[in-house]
Amino acid sequence: MALVEARELTKVFRRPDKDPGLRGAVKHLFTRRYTDKVAVDHVNLEIEAGEAVAYVGPNGAGKSTTVKLLSGILVPSSGEVRIDGLSPRKDRMAVAHRIGVLFGQRTQLWWDLPVSESLAVLRDIYGIDHGTYKRRLARFDEVLGLDEVLPVLGRKLSLGQRMRADLAAALLHAPPVVYLDEPTIGLDLAVKDRVREFFRTVRDEGTTVMLTSHDLGDIEGFCRRLVIIDSGRIIFDGDLEAVKDAFARERILNVETESVVPLERLRDALPGAAVEPGETPTQFAVRFDRFAMTAGQAVTALAPLTNLVDFHVDEPSIEDVIRRVYSGELELDAV
Amino acid sequence: MKGLTGYRAYRAHARAAALSALAYRGSFLLALGGVAFQLIALLAVWRVLLGNGDAGSIGGFDWPHMRSYLLVAFATGALVGGFVDFRMSHRIRSGLVSLDLVKPVDYQRARLWECIGGVWIEAVVIVAVAGLAVLFTGPPQLPAAPEFGLFAVSMVALVPLKFVVSYLTTLACFWTENFVGVLWARQALTGLLSGALVPLAFFPGWLATAAQWSPFAGLTSTPALIFIGQATGRHALLLVAAQLGWLTLLWFAARALFDRALRRLTVHGG
Repeated sequence: MALVEARELTKVFRRPDKDPGLRGAVKHLFTRRYTDKVAVDHVNLEIEAGEAVAYVGPNGAGKSTTVKLLSGILVPSSGEVRIDGLSPRKDRMAVAHRIGVLFGQRTQLWWDLPVSESLAVLRDIYGIDHGTYKRRLARFDEVLGLDEVLPVLGRKLSLGQRMRADLAAALLHAPPVVYLDEPTIGLDLAVKDRVREFFRTVRDEGTTVMLTSHDLGDIEGFCRRLVIIDSGRIIFDGDLEAVKDAFARERILNVETESVVPLERLRDALPGAAVEPGETPTQFAVRFDRFAMTAGQAVTALAPLTNLVDFHVDEPSIEDVIRRVYSGELELDAV
Repeated sequence: MKGLTGYRAYRAHARAAALSALAYRGSFLLALGGVAFQLIALLAVWRVLLGNGDAGSIGGFDWPHMRSYLLVAFATGALVGGFVDFRMSHRIRSGLVSLDLVKPVDYQRARLWECIGGVWIEAVVIVAVAGLAVLFTGPPQLPAAPEFGLFAVSMVALVPLKFVVSYLTTLACFWTENFVGVLWARQALTGLLSGALVPLAFFPGWLATAAQWSPFAGLTSTPALIFIGQATGRHALLLVAAQLGWLTLLWFAARALFDRALRRLTVHGG
């Protein structure tokens, strides 16, 4: 049995359909019209224990709504959710013990209390004994540098501090399942690195993680599985590396040569690759399929033609693939 | 492990609320200052109306009675102030309620304990202001022992009762964006029917009876009447029983409503 299960999960929001302005507001008092917005459309998802799943989609796709459905915040319009066999609707509190949630855009810290006090309250809410609590705080300090944040009042935290504190809050009770919804939004690079390192330790300890993020740097190197949702429907669910192998095959070798070499000669030297001119006459780019050729082979092929001054390689990223999926350019086979 | 959250979790909520209340002591004291001012004004007006104890009486109330009534009304009004519904409604409308729903605690009980946590600062101010008022108008006459016990029970029961009335109306936030309208309606109704503005005895017969056995009576009238000795013996006992009965009924009605409220919840944004 999967740890997290969603079966035909659907959530429909009903919005009043009002014409604009005062006239519309008054008219709405007499004739009520509503539009139904299907935020999550028959989503089927199974997450096994220990998996790290990336849940990706354009704005408004239904990512956060799914997370709220999976954590018992919203009640599904239809369909079922099971967390460790329990239904969040019937056993909300029991499910709450098993999950940790981080909403990047909302804090669970008390506004008027220092972080240390917020964490102490959470310790009591989750029934954590003092010894375990101290150990976990020490560990959070090790990876997140939490100690410096502890005395600061909730409302005085900087975004980076707040995110670190919220991570500690979400994981304080060491839940088996964690939902991270936009956990690096607005963070500077240094804090992002720290936080990503923390994700890796969490995953390595066997916690099941579902990560929603627009920053694909979060998911690269962390999630093995990729789920893409668009307009409430899951359009892809599969292995992240397989997606890259299938669609992100292209590497670009950017070269700067000592002397100008005519493009045709370069192209002759590199069959099976596409050569494009660069910014200056001595710069050009070689696009090749990483399975058909290696960068080393390309460099070797160029060596007789001219001396190479400099080169660097652009790696394929999952970001390119996702961008093409969002724009409709690329259609991945659904599950 | 279904819902096995003991008192520790709820006491923690009370603690968080108690500590947070300190952060708002400025605006809180200002609000209470306003209420205290209203108390002094009312005392002054009724003192004039009732001729300072010279056998003047209106609706069965002479000055010593009215003075004590107003003191108790002040105390009941200050307890469970706007803190509960303000915070709860804000969290529902802003979507922060998501984080409350992800905690392994019963939502209603957690809000009750937050309310209890906030009561201490209200109690401190009540004692201070009432003490001051007593200094100016003399000590009130306490009821006899059994009635005083009933008064104490009534005052204690007042806290969860006032909470559950607030809580029930704040649940309206799940249905409507116009919470302020609901709040005003509740405050108007409560203010009138609880006897906070004028004692229920001043109402026309049918309204006075209806109000006295309504849940609102327990918010001001019941403890006040027992304190000033206008409700004694069996009558007092019945009033307190009604107060407790309403508390139980409304508590479970709120639980049923909450289940439906969750279905209506919409949390926007990430």
